[in-house]
Amino acid sequence: MSTTTSSSQVPAETSGSAPLVQRHTGERLMSWLFMAPAILFLLLTSVYPLLYSLRLSFFSWNMSVPNSQPVFIGIRNYARLFDDPVFLSSLRTTLIFVASAVTLEFLLGMALALLVTTRLRGVGLMRTFLLVPLMMTPVVAGVLWRTLFHSTYGALNFFIGLLGIPAQTWTGNPEQALAAVITVEIWQQLPVVVFILAAGIQSLPLDFYKAAQVDGASAWQTFREITLPLLKPVILVVLLLRIMDAFRIFDVIYTLTFGGPGRVTEVLSILIYKNGLQFFQIGKASAMSWLFLLFIFVIAIFFIRELQRRGPEGPA
Amino acid sequence: MIRVRRRRLSAAGLYLVALVILVAVTFPAYWLVTTSFKYEVDTIVSPPIILPLRGTLRNYVDVFRVDEISRFFLNSAVIALTSTGLGVLLGSMAAYALSKHYLSFRIRQVVMIWILVVRIFPPITTAIPYFVIIRGLNLSDTHIALIITHTAFTLPFVIWLMLGFFQDLPDAIDRAAIMDGCSLWQRFRQITLPLALPGMAVTAIFTFIFSWNEFLYASMLTSRTAKTLPVVISGYMSDKFLRWGEMSALATLMIIPVMLFAGLTQRYLVRGLTFGAVKE
Repeated sequence: MSTTTSSSQVPAETSGSAPLVQRHTGERLMSWLFMAPAILFLLLTSVYPLLYSLRLSFFSWNMSVPNSQPVFIGIRNYARLFDDPVFLSSLRTTLIFVASAVTLEFLLGMALALLVTTRLRGVGLMRTFLLVPLMMTPVVAGVLWRTLFHSTYGALNFFIGLLGIPAQTWTGNPEQALAAVITVEIWQQLPVVVFILAAGIQSLPLDFYKAAQVDGASAWQTFREITLPLLKPVILVVLLLRIMDAFRIFDVIYTLTFGGPGRVTEVLSILIYKNGLQFFQIGKASAMSWLFLLFIFVIAIFFIRELQRRGPEGPA
Repeated sequence: MIRVRRRRLSAAGLYLVALVILVAVTFPAYWLVTTSFKYEVDTIVSPPIILPLRGTLRNYVDVFRVDEISRFFLNSAVIALTSTGLGVLLGSMAAYALSKHYLSFRIRQVVMIWILVVRIFPPITTAIPYFVIIRGLNLSDTHIALIITHTAFTLPFVIWLMLGFFQDLPDAIDRAAIMDGCSLWQRFRQITLPLALPGMAVTAIFTFIFSWNEFLYASMLTSRTAKTLPVVISGYMSDKFLRWGEMSALATLMIIPVMLFAGLTQRYLVRGLTFGAVKE
């Protein structure tokens, strides 16, 4: 039954390969064999750990106590998290971090993308330079910026000193630390936005721009009425990508502030790390992981829907 | 007249803005490399030395005096190369099957969306179960533990990227080979693979860089035997934080292979960054 339905579907979407239908049963088997190793690998390495973590989230288990065994406690881990001020404030910090980093990256990135797609001289050089932060190992970026932010020996205080601004403590100051972390994130990820938007701008059809020129449209009008609407699918891809990646920030914060001072830069990934891998509260950390997952999932679904509605850029 | 002057002014303004951004983007890397050549006394002075007039290779010599440092370099290389090889092999095969029409559209779509979803999850969300599982299997501090986790993270990426490269290949050659009676495996080995080799190389470079840079799993699953370079670098923050010169030298050595590789992928950069969603 399943063979007849699927083989009748095949010619419908393959153009001009009707005489090959007879061979398809063998080829279908081969196709499954081709996919099997990757699928098995992903089942074992992604799905299994996720399910295992779901199971652990219903247990109370402190692994640092020798010979301790997991104790089933139902949904109590989750229930506690909902009025755990530390978890809620970490969630807030994460949202502030993601929203401000991605917004600034997008605005700056759009401006730079428009700049590097002009025919000004030196644009090629600029593109090459933008590669450097992008390819920098995140851990290296973290320790490097730690030296730049250093209150006594750091370069940043030296430069603002030239402008007459007194030295700041940056990552040591609860009011500046989150901004400092966001700065590093923008420094490293801005090129992603620039490169993708620039590629999108360059692939837009030129006719529209010629027509706009004939009609005497201003640069701003051209951007608002032509570039922006045509670029929408690419903009959605960039935003989806950047939001998802900003949520996973870990290395930079680990090396730059490790969540401090106090808890001001303690995003969810750092909080989960501390709970699970420093204090070995395996059950609690697993519950946090799952709430984090669900949260990300909802946002991702929203974007993927939006993308699919627009057609060509959607998956498959 | 006025128009020309205004245009010149705005061009000058653009250049000024571009210059400022360029300096801001490049300075940290400049600072890293110059620090690696500074004498220790020159790294911790106030005001800092922006333009060093004297330099030394001392820091690079010191890096290689760090206990077992050559082993950590080797670990990073072995783990990155193995997980890249494994990921590209498994991923290319799966992508090839997905690029053909033998499986129903529905099945292919479900598999691809599932793979995409796997990629979306932040690595920290599977860190806790991995920590427990790897411990239970007695694989803590082994290369194999990191190879498995790194491959798990790069596999979805490889599949999506390779799928795009396979779909770019002209259909005609494949059809001719079918007429000649080549099986799926023969066509994959003898026709598609040689043609998709550049795409495969680009994919491999991206996965290599991922594994080379990966920190969370490396710090969590290794302690000595399988320790990789990012973990060594992070160790400089605590006990040896003021040894900026040595730390910068090690960091510079670490990012050199990445920068070299990155230059090679420039043409396909956007495709790699967007998981194949935007092609240049």
